[in-house]
Amino acid sequence: MEILGHLGYGFGIALQPINLLYAFIGCLVGTLIGVLPGIGPAGGMALLIPLTYGKEPASAIILLSGIYYGAMYGGSTTSILLNVPGEAASVVTALDGYQMARQGRAGPALAIAAIGSFVAGTIGIVFLMLLGPPMAQAALRFGPAETFALMVFGLSMVTSLAGRSLRKGFVAMTLGLTMATVGVDLPTGLIRFTLGIPKLMEGFDVIVVAIGLFAVSEILLCAEKVRTGEVLYRQVARVWLSAKDFLYSLGAVLRGSVLGFFIGVLPGAAHVTASFLSYALEKKFSKTPERFGQGEIRGVAAPESANNSAAVGAMIPLLTLGLPASAVTSVLYGALLMVGVKPSPFLFQKHPDVVWGLIASMYIGNAMLLVLNLPLVGLWVKILKTPPRWLFPIVLAISFIGVYSVNRSALDLILATLLGVLGYFLRKADYPLAPVILGLVLGDLLEQALRQTLMISGGSLTIFLHSPIAISLFVLAAVVMVAPKLIYRRGVTLETET
Amino acid sequence: MKSEGRLGGVCVLAFAVAYLAVALSIPAASVGDPLGPTAFPVVLGCFMVLLGVTLATRPDQAREGGHEAPGRWGIVAALAGFLGIYGYSLPFVGYPLGTFLFLGVTARLLGERSWPVTVGFSASISLGIYLLFTQVLDVPLPLGIIEGIRG
Repeated sequence: MEILGHLGYGFGIALQPINLLYAFIGCLVGTLIGVLPGIGPAGGMALLIPLTYGKEPASAIILLSGIYYGAMYGGSTTSILLNVPGEAASVVTALDGYQMARQGRAGPALAIAAIGSFVAGTIGIVFLMLLGPPMAQAALRFGPAETFALMVFGLSMVTSLAGRSLRKGFVAMTLGLTMATVGVDLPTGLIRFTLGIPKLMEGFDVIVVAIGLFAVSEILLCAEKVRTGEVLYRQVARVWLSAKDFLYSLGAVLRGSVLGFFIGVLPGAAHVTASFLSYALEKKFSKTPERFGQGEIRGVAAPESANNSAAVGAMIPLLTLGLPASAVTSVLYGALLMVGVKPSPFLFQKHPDVVWGLIASMYIGNAMLLVLNLPLVGLWVKILKTPPRWLFPIVLAISFIGVYSVNRSALDLILATLLGVLGYFLRKADYPLAPVILGLVLGDLLEQALRQTLMISGGSLTIFLHSPIAISLFVLAAVVMVAPKLIYRRGVTLETET
Repeated sequence: MKSEGRLGGVCVLAFAVAYLAVALSIPAASVGDPLGPTAFPVVLGCFMVLLGVTLATRPDQAREGGHEAPGRWGIVAALAGFLGIYGYSLPFVGYPLGTFLFLGVTARLLGERSWPVTVGFSASISLGIYLLFTQVLDVPLPLGIIEGIRG
């Protein structure tokens, strides 16, 4: 009952005309980002952060999360129509979605993606509402030792899921952590690793790094392939779904939704893992597994549902523990700090307007996406046909607005360019980027938690052995280092089979 | 492919050694803080040295079908270079003019052939983005030289 009261309060905020407008803009821009190949939700959110300056914290986060699930959603459109996944989570959608489009069933494929996302988003939000407050309550009992262990768990999960090579994942994570050590060391006031550059005293800004590493490097990478010819796309007759198709896919939608949410809660490449795993399970338990990859509508329904509920689930660690656990929530974390809200277990108590406004706006955003996207499919396809020689420079020019607005500093722009070059080489050499950004965000918190813990214990590491929570988290961290090898094998066969 | 992996490992190692050297030069003095400001960076540096050594000596198997695009280094280097110049000059050249030049130059670089299209598109897009952000979305952007001429 209390939850309904909170939710009512949230709707009061989310339904304010200005916030409705922000949710609308967020969904629209987010879908655009999802449609464009490359930039992805994290980079896209980062480059649109300037839109949130001077706004109320609740409005700012409503806008940004609109961009987030809009992007998740937009990725599916291009997967189905062009076989070009706009972002990583849509890769599996392309397997059956594009086949459906080739068979003239692009309409039903797009419709089930839209409806599945809507249902999944809604189910995810209900779980978030029910689980969020008690989890935040439990997190209040965490001391520095438990917080440290939790962050170790989060980092190891992200690192082990992020790429093919565990060692390269570790390099990426450590790189992020080393970047976090640049600047003033708060407890002692000592200046570390600034190499005499005054600008670096404040350390690296998450937003600048996210835009440089994700957006700029992606464009550099794409620029190499500019002249590889035009992509063909399939005509869409009518975006609609028959009752028969709907009932046939409903089970897949529900299974994907629930699975996706719980994978989303865990730190890691949440929505990517969620969509791959739900597709694999759907295929495994299907009576007609041979139809997967040939245009099976359930093969679109399950991953599309899973990645949307995972996007909601990923909000849980951020809202209840104050810890980001993915690249996207790291950017949200940075954005919250900028509008003066410090994510922590107290978020539910101190900023109920932000939390419940966000939750309510997710319902609204989901409904908006459903209404918005079905009629706008044609527009997205047209935008995709913009010649890359114009599209790429435009994306860069807009992303520079994002960087410049952080501190109004040319040095940040140069830094973003350098990070873009770094990201380009990292991508080329198959190093994952998500652990870098997460390491950067968590690095400082991690070091402070460790130092506080050891201050309490007088320097003895045995303090961790006295906390059952910390021990369990360390064990889990060790398990996730090993387990992905098994999951990955599954993932790899899944790719090669189809 | 293997030599590329090795090169990556060597780069990691070089970075780690440099980082570690700086970390060790931080004064360790601290009161009541057993770790101090040095310990955490030193641990990170050592860990990265270890990773660099293993990657350099035993590189990962190259991914099949990876590295499919033959590197067009010239384009990438030129694009990054223009981007750096654009960023460096943005505050004093101003967003509209700087973006006009940047869009035009990079579109030509990426294969735009027609001059009228280059000039027309660059002018309208840079002005459009500038007006959208400053007038509609309330994000202030520098006018730079244009402001000087106007004033």
